[in-house]
Amino acid sequence: MVRQTAPVERELETIDIDVNVGPQHPATHGVFRMVISVDGEVVTDLDPVIGYMHRGNEKLPENLDYRQTIGFHDRTDYLAQFNTEHCWVETVEKLGGMKPPERAEYIRVILAELNRITSHLMFMGAFGTDVGLFGTSFMYAFRDRELIQEFFEEITGERMMYNYFRPGGVAWDVPEDFTERCSRILDHIRKGIGDIEGLLLHNEVVLARTRGLSPVTPEQGINWGLSGPLLRATGLPHDLRRAEPYSIYDRFDFDIPTGTHGDVYDRLVVRLEEMKQSVRIIEQALKQMPEGPIMAEGMKRILRVPAGEVYGRVESPRGEYGVYLVSNGSEKPYRHKVRAASFCNLSALREMCVGHYVSDVIIILGSIDIVLGEVDR
Amino acid sequence: MLGLAKAIQTTVRAALRRPVTVKYPMEKKELSHRTRGFPVLLWDFEKDEPFCTGCQVCARYCPVDCITVTMTDNPKFAEGKSKRKKTVDRFFLDYARCMRCDICVEVCNFSAIVMNNTWDGIELSRFDRQDLVMDKDALLRQSRTGRLGDPFREPMGVAHSGWAPKAEGEEEAGEAAAAAEGGEG
Amino acid sequence: MAIVALLLPVSVILLTWLERKVMGRLQQRLGPMHVGPWGLLQGVADTVKLLTKEDVRPTSADRWTFELAPFVIVVPVVMAVVALPFTADILVRNMALGLFYILAVSGLSIVGFVMAGWGSDNKYALLGGVRAGAQLISYEVPLILTVVGVAMLGQTLNLAQIVEFQDDTPWVVYQPLGFLIFVIAGLAELYRQPFDIPVAESEVVGGATVEYSGIRWSMFQMGEFVSLVLISILASLIFLGGWIWPFNSDLPVWGQALLMGGKTFAFIIFFMWTRGSLPRLRIDQLMALCWQILLPFTLLQIVINGLALVYEWPDWTLTLMSGGAAAVLVVGIYRVARRSGALNQSPAGHRVGSVL
Repeated sequence: MVRQTAPVERELETIDIDVNVGPQHPATHGVFRMVISVDGEVVTDLDPVIGYMHRGNEKLPENLDYRQTIGFHDRTDYLAQFNTEHCWVETVEKLGGMKPPERAEYIRVILAELNRITSHLMFMGAFGTDVGLFGTSFMYAFRDRELIQEFFEEITGERMMYNYFRPGGVAWDVPEDFTERCSRILDHIRKGIGDIEGLLLHNEVVLARTRGLSPVTPEQGINWGLSGPLLRATGLPHDLRRAEPYSIYDRFDFDIPTGTHGDVYDRLVVRLEEMKQSVRIIEQALKQMPEGPIMAEGMKRILRVPAGEVYGRVESPRGEYGVYLVSNGSEKPYRHKVRAASFCNLSALREMCVGHYVSDVIIILGSIDIVLGEVDR
Repeated sequence: MLGLAKAIQTTVRAALRRPVTVKYPMEKKELSHRTRGFPVLLWDFEKDEPFCTGCQVCARYCPVDCITVTMTDNPKFAEGKSKRKKTVDRFFLDYARCMRCDICVEVCNFSAIVMNNTWDGIELSRFDRQDLVMDKDALLRQSRTGRLGDPFREPMGVAHSGWAPKAEGEEEAGEAAAAAEGGEG
Repeated sequence: MAIVALLLPVSVILLTWLERKVMGRLQQRLGPMHVGPWGLLQGVADTVKLLTKEDVRPTSADRWTFELAPFVIVVPVVMAVVALPFTADILVRNMALGLFYILAVSGLSIVGFVMAGWGSDNKYALLGGVRAGAQLISYEVPLILTVVGVAMLGQTLNLAQIVEFQDDTPWVVYQPLGFLIFVIAGLAELYRQPFDIPVAESEVVGGATVEYSGIRWSMFQMGEFVSLVLISILASLIFLGGWIWPFNSDLPVWGQALLMGGKTFAFIIFFMWTRGSLPRLRIDQLMALCWQILLPFTLLQIVINGLALVYEWPDWTLTLMSGGAAAVLVVGIYRVARRSGALNQSPAGHRVGSVL
């Protein structure tokens, strides 16, 4: 019996190991699970598993009326609550044919833009932690966020789940010192943005880690369904506040920051510049805000919306947040579907991550800026 | 290295500022007037009974179904001491389910429930989840003992749906409206 | 010997407190404040907590590898600290081959890391352990070579003698390049930011140490802090003039201890400060930094030293050449990092990033 000898040149066989970046992980921004197939340190495949935070946010409002649903939208995207509330009340107003008074519109815009600033601050903080700063960026971001949240508490009563916008206007009027308080907060915010910029944006290590990482072309961005800062970082100046102006955004003068390569560094820069533009919008709105009623005339005690369907969308800090509302004429929505920005952005994670290192996957996931409440609803 | 130097300069400057820590629980920051704690019931010191009449509007409008209310005849009305025909018999509010949306405050016809804007309405840790189901006495205690202070009620109710707060003499009309609504919802 | 055995744990406990305070300060918050005055007893509270924790061991872990790994990390470092003279008189054992012994022995703790990574039977631990092995071994080379440069200057490996040679000028003046490389390589040896990829908290959640709990985990921490003390004291001794500069060797013992303590403290604060301010590098960038940038400059430093010694050039030529090379190194790292889009490879290729 001849014993077969192994051929001299035989390639070393290796297996890809599956690393489970589990639902409990310091870096996944929520209960999100990824199964990454890794060849050494290079990612060959990525399988996202979602659903750990599914709470029935689309079914439950079928038993609640239009005012009770506002709180549910707060909890869908729990970092940009005013933007989601804005979307919901705008959609109901579209279908119901109501128009909120001027003062209410200005209050809504100011609060929504302040919320955009808080959301981007949270992103900067979390991103610094992903890149490796031991919580410093987090603390700076939260120091400024705390100022804004205290301000929100003075207006609405809550620091996070405001339940303040109503179909037809806002719930109650803002306190008298609103304008001065807001201006002072804006001064602090400008300094805080400068802090974060100095800490993160010019840092050589951050540049070395994020520049050129997972570049996205505009065509890829559109094909994958990206929206928000991700799409603007690829170079497309697509912002719903400019493309399809809702509320009173057509009265303000602001720029749309865009990137060039669509990589992680560009997303960082785009969000920082958006914060500065939000400050600009708030300044203009504070100057223009009129006195007047805060609730539309002739609102009935029980709000009934005529039968029909409508899709309303806003530019939330994560992208395009939309609500598809079908009504059958009663006081409860018949079908309430939420188009969440993070869900659509997250679906492109696999294409963005394959071929990069494991350390980069965490950074790319951080740069998409997901909120699991939105993804799972 | 400039970027790294800038990062270190930023942290050095931050280190020289005053720390922003509030040493809770030794120091507590001041809550604003509109702070939304958990809901409590109000006690009418003139008539020596709760404002609440048990009309169940709050229970119907609560998005998470955390309120259970029953109504009973008011003995003081029979004695002629009060104008409220009915009063609340049992009132359970589950703080563990409440999402502090303050819709119950907005819809209450008698301004009987408010959000507690003191620290007592926020510091509510318990060892057992059942201890968070507050009954009528626990909910009234805050107001009866005078610890409630000045709750935020001012433009409440004017804003939504064109409803205005009722004046004193219209309580019976409010009850009639509530009873009519009871057949609707 | 007994002093070392007593002082080390106490200093480790105090260093954990100091680290939390320093990080808190530069994040504009207070650190621990409750336990003891200014939170000084926080380290004691943490130690008591860790001692009373359940000792968890995964059933599929390789038993001896898993359990011995913390010891293999801590023991060599403590052995190395034994050979460090703190002042002229406060020392345990000053050896003629002191420098050589310290570096040789402290290199043994790398094995402990790899043992921890393999023995934990956990993919995260494996990733962390492998990365740690690669990083620590690579950065030993520039570290040792800079120390070789110092030894060339002093023609001796005896630490006390090296300090005595520095009584008029500390050797950081003659060897700025060596100092810079020593600090960078030292940061990498301590696996602190910006080189803490083996124990990256937001990625591999503790790397090789992820499966350890209780007192075993605290032994990893002890190893880290004792290494910190080791590198700081070593840097103060060979570059900053130890207990002699700027005074002369007639200082009383407490003066020497104070001077030495001050220099060590400065280094420790510097290491803790960079931990809070700088993000971390990826493993391939780290390795590229070591082999493609630091190593050539280290060899350059040795060549400079050799030239100056053989041709008996005056000492200021050393400063000039070494300082010039240090400036080139700084500028080089700056430009490479600025241009570093090329460090991230395209999805097609799997090449390790190159900086050149």
